[in-house]
Amino acid sequence: MNDDVEDQNINNPEEPHHARFRILVCIDGSDESYRGLRYAAKIAKGEDVDIVLCYVRPSDQGLSTGGLQMDVARGNMLEWGLELPGITYLKKGRDLLMELGNLREDWEERAFHTDITGTSLGDNKIDYTSKSGKKIVLKLKVARDVVTGILDQWELGHYDLIIIGASARWSGKGLKGFFDPAVAEKIAIHAPCSVLVARDLEIGHGHLLCTDGSEASNAMIRKDAYIASLCECPISLLSVAPDVESEINAEKAVNAARKILDDLNVNVVETLTRVGNPVDEIVETGPDYSLIVLADGGKNGLERFFVGSVAMKVMQTAHNSVMVVR
Amino acid sequence: MVDADPDPANPGAAPARTAAGRALKLVKPIAGLRKRGNYLYFWEKRWFFIAMAVGAGLLYMPTPEGLTQSGMIILTMSVVATILFVTEPVPLPTVALLIIIGQVMLMGIESKAVARSLMSDSVLFIMGSLMLAVAVVKQKLDTRIAWILVRMTGTKTSRIAFGIALVSGVLASFVGEHTVAAMMLPVGITLIQLTSNDPKKVRNLAAVLLFSISYGCSVAGIGTPSGGARNAIMIGYWKEFFYDPLNPETFMYLIDYVHWMMYAYPIFLIQVPFVTIILLLTFRPEYKDLSRAVVKLRAQVESQGAMKAGDWVAIGIFFLVLLGWIFGSAEYGMGTIAILGAAAFLIAGLVAWPDVNSGVNWGVVLLYAAAISLGVQMKDTGAAAWVAQNFLDILAPLGMDEGVGLWAAVSLLTTGVTNTMSNGAAVAVLGPIVLKLAVAAQESPIVIGYITAVSSAFAYLTVVGTPACTIVYASGYLKTTDFLTVGWKMVVMSTIIMLAAAGLYWPFLGT
Repeated sequence: MNDDVEDQNINNPEEPHHARFRILVCIDGSDESYRGLRYAAKIAKGEDVDIVLCYVRPSDQGLSTGGLQMDVARGNMLEWGLELPGITYLKKGRDLLMELGNLREDWEERAFHTDITGTSLGDNKIDYTSKSGKKIVLKLKVARDVVTGILDQWELGHYDLIIIGASARWSGKGLKGFFDPAVAEKIAIHAPCSVLVARDLEIGHGHLLCTDGSEASNAMIRKDAYIASLCECPISLLSVAPDVESEINAEKAVNAARKILDDLNVNVVETLTRVGNPVDEIVETGPDYSLIVLADGGKNGLERFFVGSVAMKVMQTAHNSVMVVR
Repeated sequence: MVDADPDPANPGAAPARTAAGRALKLVKPIAGLRKRGNYLYFWEKRWFFIAMAVGAGLLYMPTPEGLTQSGMIILTMSVVATILFVTEPVPLPTVALLIIIGQVMLMGIESKAVARSLMSDSVLFIMGSLMLAVAVVKQKLDTRIAWILVRMTGTKTSRIAFGIALVSGVLASFVGEHTVAAMMLPVGITLIQLTSNDPKKVRNLAAVLLFSISYGCSVAGIGTPSGGARNAIMIGYWKEFFYDPLNPETFMYLIDYVHWMMYAYPIFLIQVPFVTIILLLTFRPEYKDLSRAVVKLRAQVESQGAMKAGDWVAIGIFFLVLLGWIFGSAEYGMGTIAILGAAAFLIAGLVAWPDVNSGVNWGVVLLYAAAISLGVQMKDTGAAAWVAQNFLDILAPLGMDEGVGLWAAVSLLTTGVTNTMSNGAAVAVLGPIVLKLAVAAQESPIVIGYITAVSSAFAYLTVVGTPACTIVYASGYLKTTDFLTVGWKMVVMSTIIMLAAAGLYWPFLGT
């Protein structure tokens, strides 16, 4: 994470940022991914936020196409003058950003190609740069699989936030989830930065920040204060006590969070406390907001995978979008 | 590392950042990712380790009664290979390498003998037909085929869908479904895009046309031996398992091209209208007529001009290969004819070797070779017969240990397996077991073999089930759930037609 950069900004979100905030939006042609892109566009209204749209094409293993490389079919499509799906999806994303005013015709445009072993099409990207240095990048990437591609892309760009649409396979739980977890779930588990999983993401309903008073939660509050300031999103606070006796601790947690935000001059719309199972309560309260925001429990990827955490369980069961902050 | 966007090292990207801050920004995440990377590696490969643990566990278990030690080892290798086929934690050709290593190091078979067992006519056929597939796709005859198709069908959507399924099917039955799917995919997408550029407006039309290609190809792949690797594999198994040059009674197990077609081609033809009906009723396309798209397609074809000499030569070679398969495969083998055809395309200059080389996944050829070798070992060690007998014991209380019940059980088993892995691999893995099952149940190995090979085409439920499904899915118009929505209806239809053919038609062929 850009701790060095983020911390100085969070201390005063109103001050101009000296580092670029980078958002990686994973595009797969689904409505969810474009909703995620719209949200990214709202966060990236300022000059100091870059957006990279990435479509990952899994490299062909050949067996599923009976030993004939998929490139033969793809090459035939190109010879007919047809665009490959990834190109179409990225162009649609670019048009959406133009429509929303994040990208303009007069930006400098540069195209790059990188040869990749095992595919004739390779990696391709188009880089749009404004006069002030703001970037919008369209990236068509080839990788062994989609998850590896997205995580590789993080390594290239060290993004602050990954936005990915909840795929149809998200519902994979239990044995099915272990056998074949959804792409979004894998990214949420393994990405080193904050991950927003877009599910019916509607702009304008605010962020619901869930705190338990821990250090990780307080760090999440500071980081989301920065993101919320970028998109001018209203903030609400929620803490859940597992039983009535602990309710006082929940109240302390929201008050502590409120103080952090007050110190940052960030307005809090409401504070909520609930009693019950934290995952159930958060999931039930969530749909009134654009995003449920949680701190990552601090576990590493393997522990997150096997042990899970409140954040991961909320992400798996929520009805709306969830952002896990790291 | 491929590139560095949005280039962290680019000074323009972060003009006000200090060098120390930039270094800190880079070092922290890289260290974090490396630390997590180790976990990620184990997590990504977890099925490999699980498969190996299962394999070790099975090898340490006491050998069940009736099974030899080498039978236990080959069975363990099959279980491990199947887990790896389905979960794909490592590149699949790696499984082939492990099978080869396992045969030498675990079973103690001489490496020369293992190497010899890897190459058979079936493997030559798979190699040759893949080279032919690349050569045929490169001829760019698809626009002309598309135009002939719409001239025959007119502009009504339902008739075009039927025409696509039939034409794709007839071609796929001879040259393999991957070839035709690759050729016909642009035809389908062009018709869709010329109807409307908005994918939402043509969502159902796209499903009907694209599934007409993939399911047309799938139901046809069974039609002739050259329709798919699975057919060649089954023909190879019949010969390997039952043919004895000294016993004339076993000559019936040498199945030639025409013999196969007599069994399977009618099943393909009967299915085609049902494919169209199922697709039209399931998706109900938004546009009932595609006249605007057809007019534009015509203009596209006319811009290509008349057929050129090279086009005629390509068609000529293709028909010579077809004649070779029909009349010469009994003597020379289907694999030799396929390789001869590929060589003819290369000699005529109709395709370049780099195109063939990059268009064929040679790892898959190796995988099929190893899978067939594993299947032969399953027979030689008695493992296939042991599994078959145990499977039969499970079926007996259900009354499915003979006749139609057994056929349905074999079909169900094959359909289940083929939907989780390539249909060629499914036949390679299941073939030895079902053929021994036929012997144990005193059923005809020919009938059970055909049922297995035909049922391996019922991989309508998943994207990866058949090459044609994978290729049309790459268009971006279909969802994975679409395959389930329509696929189960296709499975029911195909199973009923196949069982009806096995019960009513095949007896006339002398099974």
